[in-house]
Amino acid sequence: MNIGNRLKIARNGIGYTLEKASQESGIGQSSLSEFENDKREPKFSQLSKLAEVYKKKIEFFLTDAPIINKVILWRSKPNSEEERKATEAEFSQLCEQYYNLEVLTGEVRKVRFPEPDVDKPEEFTFGQAESFARKVQNQFCLGDIPSSSIKRVLEERYYVKVFHLAFSGSAISTFSPEFGYAVLLNMDRTTKQWRRNFDLAHELFHLLTWNIFTTCRLQNTQPTEDEEKLANAFASQLLMPDDALRERIDLRKNEQGEIKLDHLDDIAREFGVSLDALVYRIANLFRIQKQDTQKYRDSAKKLAKFHKPRESENQETLPERYCDLALRALREGKLSLMQFAKYMGISYKKAQEYLMEEEDFTDEAISISVD
Amino acid sequence: MKRFPFLLIDAGPIIKLFSLGIWDDFVKYCDVSISRIIADDQALYTEDGKKHIDLNPYEEKELIKIIDVKPSVVKTFYDEFDLLYQADIHDGEKETLAFLCDSSENWLVCAADKAVFKVLGLLSKAEQGISLEEVLNQIGLSRELEWPYTKKFREMYTNMGQIDSIQDKGLL
Repeated sequence: MNIGNRLKIARNGIGYTLEKASQESGIGQSSLSEFENDKREPKFSQLSKLAEVYKKKIEFFLTDAPIINKVILWRSKPNSEEERKATEAEFSQLCEQYYNLEVLTGEVRKVRFPEPDVDKPEEFTFGQAESFARKVQNQFCLGDIPSSSIKRVLEERYYVKVFHLAFSGSAISTFSPEFGYAVLLNMDRTTKQWRRNFDLAHELFHLLTWNIFTTCRLQNTQPTEDEEKLANAFASQLLMPDDALRERIDLRKNEQGEIKLDHLDDIAREFGVSLDALVYRIANLFRIQKQDTQKYRDSAKKLAKFHKPRESENQETLPERYCDLALRALREGKLSLMQFAKYMGISYKKAQEYLMEEEDFTDEAISISVD
Repeated sequence: MKRFPFLLIDAGPIIKLFSLGIWDDFVKYCDVSISRIIADDQALYTEDGKKHIDLNPYEEKELIKIIDVKPSVVKTFYDEFDLLYQADIHDGEKETLAFLCDSSENWLVCAADKAVFKVLGLLSKAEQGISLEEVLNQIGLSRELEWPYTKKFREMYTNMGQIDSIQDKGLL
């Protein structure tokens, strides 16, 4: 058990100086330094406080198991390195908690994602990214308006862990053999729903092609510019299926075969994407010249100023399945009330409300025979 | 000689006793010990949410004892018990149970938590768990209490832990 070294790794992981760690934990800087250099052993209560501040499980400090660095892909990072590390630490902690809940309730599920037809990064073309998006649309049964069902399908059928936090960057995706696939979306008030839809579809590309691009990431943990472009092409195709999009355009175009940007804005709203993304997609679908595409995009931007900003649903940090598993674990006595409060981000008092009534929740009492 | 010389108490019963306004009487009859993590928890409030529970004055006046354990003690406890497989408990509860397992004295844990009683049953320490209802009855402060504070609750979840133990679940 090498607590000192692990304390140092955890502090660096969240990007804290000794001074900041001291402020957050209430433990003196000299004590922290002594703990990290194995000159003095912290008490368990101090270790627990530091685990809380560093967003680590206490077991991280009590084990000799090798530390595996997670690969976390950012769509766009916050400017501040401190915020990036803090967001990654919080996201990782949520993923670990989610996985713990799956283990406690016996709900760890193996999934098989659709696979692309190529297995080397250099073989991936835009055409292949789009064709892969069509395959995913079919296999996921996303229907005409994929943005309305994609999150639910990923969470409930493929057990992808999708969290929302407020931060100043864009989305994150990660994969760990330990806890599976996970995505973090921005719940900041300034982030629109259509942006989150696109972010999720974009991050889905990274998850589905994780093994293909892994070798590149050994040297560089961030996706390359080409990989990002492929992810955008995939997301664009996934959220706006060919047939459904053509049908909507045919309904609105005039006799000269033109469609007003106002009408395109209606279509964008229906598909849950931005007008800009739709213009880009149409340019691709109808093979419009690059310079014309730019002209239409500029007009769309001007027009946007005269449209009422679209409503965005408020997002909860924790997925519904996560909350449901936490309640199940609490009910079955597999999660203590204090731990439940921590997992759910609620007060102990609020958590107690879930445990006050005498109940019979044995398997026999809450099962329905379907044979 | 107090009625309960070796009583470890979890967060739930502490909140209940403060909410009932009988904490001061309670510590007169029982030698109460509390995990440092639970005692320092800033989120402990009475049930109406109005009063913050500050245990420091009681510690300073030596009316309660605070236990502080070494990480190695918790690791020993952790190593014999597959926590993740069977139950995930709070660090304060880990500290309490690790202390109990490490001590040669016959400590009792007063809790109002399914997971804590299940773990006691699993560790074959069923007789070291006690409900708040049982303690209050024995020191003459009986009250009508909600389900998690009752003897029946304790027995139900301790039994579940014992069944898991018999079926060889949870211990490494």
